[in-house]
Amino acid sequence: MLKHSRLSLRQREALTGYLYISPWIVGFLIFTIGPMFASLYYSFTDYDIISPPVWNNFANYKKIFSGIFEALITHDSSKLGDPIFWQSLKVTLTYAVLALPLGLIVGFFLAVLLNQKIPFVNLWRTIYFLPSVIAGVAVALLWGRIFNPRVGILNPIIEAVLHVKGPGWLADPKWAVPSLVIMGLWGVGGGMIIYLAGLQGVPTDFYDAAKVDGANLYQRFIHITLPMMTPVIFYNLVLGMIGTFQYFTEVYVITNGQGGPVRSTLFYNLYLYQNAFRYNHMGYAATMAWILFIIVLVLTLLVFRSSEVWVYYEGELRGRE
Amino acid sequence: MKRLILILNLVLIGAMAIGACATPTTEVASPVAPVATEAPAATVPPAATEPPAATGEKVHVTIFVGLGTGTDPAQIDSENALAEKFNSTHDKIELEFLIVPYDQARERLLAMISGGTAPQLLGPMGIETTAQFLDSLEDLTPYIQRDNYDTADFYGPAVSLNTYEGKNIGLPLGLYPSYIFYNKNAFDAAGVDYPTQDYNDTTWTIDKLREVALLVTLDVNGNNATSPDFDPTNITQYGFDNSWDSLRGWEVLWAPANMGRPTSADYKTAIINDPDWVTGLQWYSDAIWKNHFMPDSAAISGLDPANGDPFAVDGLAMWMSNSWYMSESLNELAFKWDLAPTPFNPKGERIAQVDADGFSMPKDAKNKDEAWEVMKWLLEPENNLELCRIYGCMPARKSTESAYKASLAEIYPEINLDVIFNAATYLDVPNHESWVPDFATINEALSNAQSQILTADQDHDAKSVLDKTNVEVQKILDAYWATH
Repeated sequence: MLKHSRLSLRQREALTGYLYISPWIVGFLIFTIGPMFASLYYSFTDYDIISPPVWNNFANYKKIFSGIFEALITHDSSKLGDPIFWQSLKVTLTYAVLALPLGLIVGFFLAVLLNQKIPFVNLWRTIYFLPSVIAGVAVALLWGRIFNPRVGILNPIIEAVLHVKGPGWLADPKWAVPSLVIMGLWGVGGGMIIYLAGLQGVPTDFYDAAKVDGANLYQRFIHITLPMMTPVIFYNLVLGMIGTFQYFTEVYVITNGQGGPVRSTLFYNLYLYQNAFRYNHMGYAATMAWILFIIVLVLTLLVFRSSEVWVYYEGELRGRE
Repeated sequence: MKRLILILNLVLIGAMAIGACATPTTEVASPVAPVATEAPAATVPPAATEPPAATGEKVHVTIFVGLGTGTDPAQIDSENALAEKFNSTHDKIELEFLIVPYDQARERLLAMISGGTAPQLLGPMGIETTAQFLDSLEDLTPYIQRDNYDTADFYGPAVSLNTYEGKNIGLPLGLYPSYIFYNKNAFDAAGVDYPTQDYNDTTWTIDKLREVALLVTLDVNGNNATSPDFDPTNITQYGFDNSWDSLRGWEVLWAPANMGRPTSADYKTAIINDPDWVTGLQWYSDAIWKNHFMPDSAAISGLDPANGDPFAVDGLAMWMSNSWYMSESLNELAFKWDLAPTPFNPKGERIAQVDADGFSMPKDAKNKDEAWEVMKWLLEPENNLELCRIYGCMPARKSTESAYKASLAEIYPEINLDVIFNAATYLDVPNHESWVPDFATINEALSNAQSQILTADQDHDAKSVLDKTNVEVQKILDAYWATH
């Protein structure tokens, strides 16, 4: 039993606070930190799920990183310890480079448009936001049909409007990732709503003052809206970046878990999943998970670091005194 | 009040911790002693699994269904009826079918095995899945020998498909031989005679298949693929497709060395660029890109985008598949169809690759003796027939052939069913789904090679594709043997 005389009020309050959050802490330790340490251990083992793991030192890491220089010198990817790992990383990075900026720009653009005083603005906002609440599986099935090169609705539109033969989309290795990027725009409404909330938080006084000073629409956007929105852009950038590296459901559904055609949509997480649950290479999958964790951590830190020169808080850059 | 909340909190945390640490309920232990039999002197009897439990309790035997067929609602009803039939006639064993959706079955089974709650039986399970779980499956040889279990009634290949290095890792339930389904309307539209149904007709070769396929491939203007006016960008009817099959399944038609096995006999050397493999894959490559009678991957996806079944719509004349396709409501097709044998290859051999289903027992399962009793019951002729009616397989027992044929004739009165039964003479051994080291990884590499042939703007030279794949597979084999 606790004795009041032994603990100060502050200590008692702290203890009570910890006890209140303790269910979460216990859950976090058991279901997050525990598996993380377990996966770290497995990443140094040969583990097929069914048999006990066998310690193999750095063999999994070596497999991933071996042959890099040889492959670079000879331009022969077969020299790599695991060429498919690098292919999956390439696919993921390609998607990130295309989808992330596009998603940020389109979301922001839509938010700016829907922040105007136009008739039925709430209806438009709902229409643009609605697709983002549809589950990834449904979206994938829907777009799989839209992109079908023979019977999908997209190619006939392209052929009617542009008078060119539509691409093979998901059936064409060159177009498969761009198709997924286009499909990703379907969910841009989620980011748009956050931008919209941010835009509505920009004080109108700033615009009024700028107008008095003779600033035109473009100048007001560049010198007021954009800087004021940088914390929101930063937020969406970090979440979007992490999201692109976790891309899985849609491509799993569309390609039936294969990552085809010809491994053109073999995303990092899909390859990780294949290793874990199809090939029973759980140790190797754990290694991949840790490498992904490090990649995302480094990129996130870089973005955070860069934020000092482009993100404005209270009208000032955080990195400047 | 604060103290009360504090205490409640502590109780809650304690309850959560206890709940998280509690061990799962263990299986009901066997109430009966292992069946006493007169085992041959040289036979090692199966190890006793668990001590007997309290008298009167029934031992649970769970059959894990989901690794192949068996998860459709109609099938579940029939499975439950079969379980009821068993349970009403057995007072010591309680049979239960555990139905798991196909896309979750693998992960679920892995979790059950690694968590120490392995089901007693697995099935119906195909050769490919058996190969993937090979190390986890019980060798049934001691049970077979102990009970003098007669396997002579099974088709020979059905037994051998479940045998690895002298171990019986399952008992056969049914076979699914392959043959050609052809669309009679498509042949009529092209004005071409139907393919032969006579297995003795030696003119039915792969070259003849190609010739016929060219004639029944039609473009939007009605020109066939041999016509100089044929437009390959506007094909309305393809001559032939086999895209549901794997690369190994494709290649067995050419009867390469080690048949459906992509390695040397000792499993240490990749032989994927063997001349027969190259010939086979080049035939498919030419069929798509040069002769245009077979659809590429983009065209396949457009043939039946709703169900992904190329033969279900009126745009394909010949479709090579297995007898499990007969369970896909073929009576509902909008056209007339029939069956033709697989053709002879250039060596004069006919190979009808076969899929098969069986029952296996996980090594870590409890109540193995009872599981063995259930397995034997399931494969009694009457139950074998009933299960194959449920799953659409050709029963593995020869003695059920006429009864099965009669039941199939009721469903498909206009179809020449001899094509199915005669195919069982030409099966592929080693099978195209048989075990290879690191099975799924090698399969992915082969699937990638197949994908290159099926996809536009790729390297379609079979030799070049298979040379590269051979290097990749050899690497997988080397890595496997370095640790095994």
